[in-house]
Amino acid sequence: MKIEDLERFEKMESEGLETLPSEERRRFLQMGLAVTGVFAGGTVLSLMSARPVNGALEGISLKDYPYKPHYCMVLRQDRCIDCELCKEACVKTNHVPEYGYRTTILERELTVGPASRQREFMPVLCNQCNRPPCVRVCPTVATYKDKTTGIVMMDPKKCIGCKTCMAACPYNARYFNEEIRAIDKCDFCFASRLSKGMTTTACAEACPADVRIFGDLSDPTSRVYQLVHDPERVVWVLRPETGAAPNVFYTKG
Amino acid sequence: MKKTFITALVLALVGATFLVHGVGATEEEHGGTIVFTRPVKAVVFDHQSHMDMGYECDTCHDGLFEYATGSAEESGEFNHKSFAEGNYCGACHDGSTAFTAVLDKATGKCTLCHIGVKGLDRASGKETKKPHGD
Repeated sequence: MKIEDLERFEKMESEGLETLPSEERRRFLQMGLAVTGVFAGGTVLSLMSARPVNGALEGISLKDYPYKPHYCMVLRQDRCIDCELCKEACVKTNHVPEYGYRTTILERELTVGPASRQREFMPVLCNQCNRPPCVRVCPTVATYKDKTTGIVMMDPKKCIGCKTCMAACPYNARYFNEEIRAIDKCDFCFASRLSKGMTTTACAEACPADVRIFGDLSDPTSRVYQLVHDPERVVWVLRPETGAAPNVFYTKG
Repeated sequence: MKKTFITALVLALVGATFLVHGVGATEEEHGGTIVFTRPVKAVVFDHQSHMDMGYECDTCHDGLFEYATGSAEESGEFNHKSFAEGNYCGACHDGSTAFTAVLDKATGKCTLCHIGVKGLDRASGKETKKPHGD
């Protein structure tokens, strides 16, 4: 817009809303609603679409299982003893280099009394989120949500190594693999095992304490389904506030 | 009896030092602290805290455990299944004399003895690898 135009507009009398044709007013309002995401079910400030919240409790939604099989893992956290046989099995199965990991064990101390503390170990891995932040940010679609299994997968050939997905991941579950010059991550052993007919991950199979339970959340007869839906059991996910809807569940006992 | 984490760690360090140097614990220390690494890494046993409860050497070293370090691990029977049958730790850790070491009933108590690979690394002075980006 030129300065002369502005000067000319300033001298003009305001049309006022009452003189604006209703058609035009409606179009303007529609544009505003689209931008603020109201039509997409999002909050006023979101520019991306957000699904309606279906009874989500602390990041867990137990209504729909969009995938078949809907792979998930339940971790019975208090049984973990950090023997790291899961890590060893993962490294061997998926050729994970020394500087990276697809799964690891975190450790913390809990105060259980005035002078008494207790160790707690927490296995972590890719949460195979239903709304994966890593997938949303990938500029080359190198990482994607598998339409059948829901596993967040990598296509190393498409990966340009920008590491944006690493920054976006709320679970620190990705690393840059120097050998393949691409990001690598847990795929629930899809490439190494599931696609070859095996029914569980290497880590779950290696666990001597029955911490890692892998299965199909859409199958009511599966152990994971029964653990997650047990009304007596406290089940939680990590970082529910991110809204990523993870498929890795934690529980005790 | 619950031991504090720090005490366990210090004792684990002492124990591991003996293991690393291949020196058996001295009699004065009543065997010191043992870090078992088989069948899983790693489990800590503190002789002193057991002596403090009034147990004598032959309470355990008369059939349950041999004196020589490593003999339990080499037996191939040093595991929770065997404990449930009253062997090794399971002789006392049965839920009545001491907290249970029977796997199905031991919910939440695992890390009292299990110090993990991280505990073993600390005990042997090796730095634990940090997660990505830390």
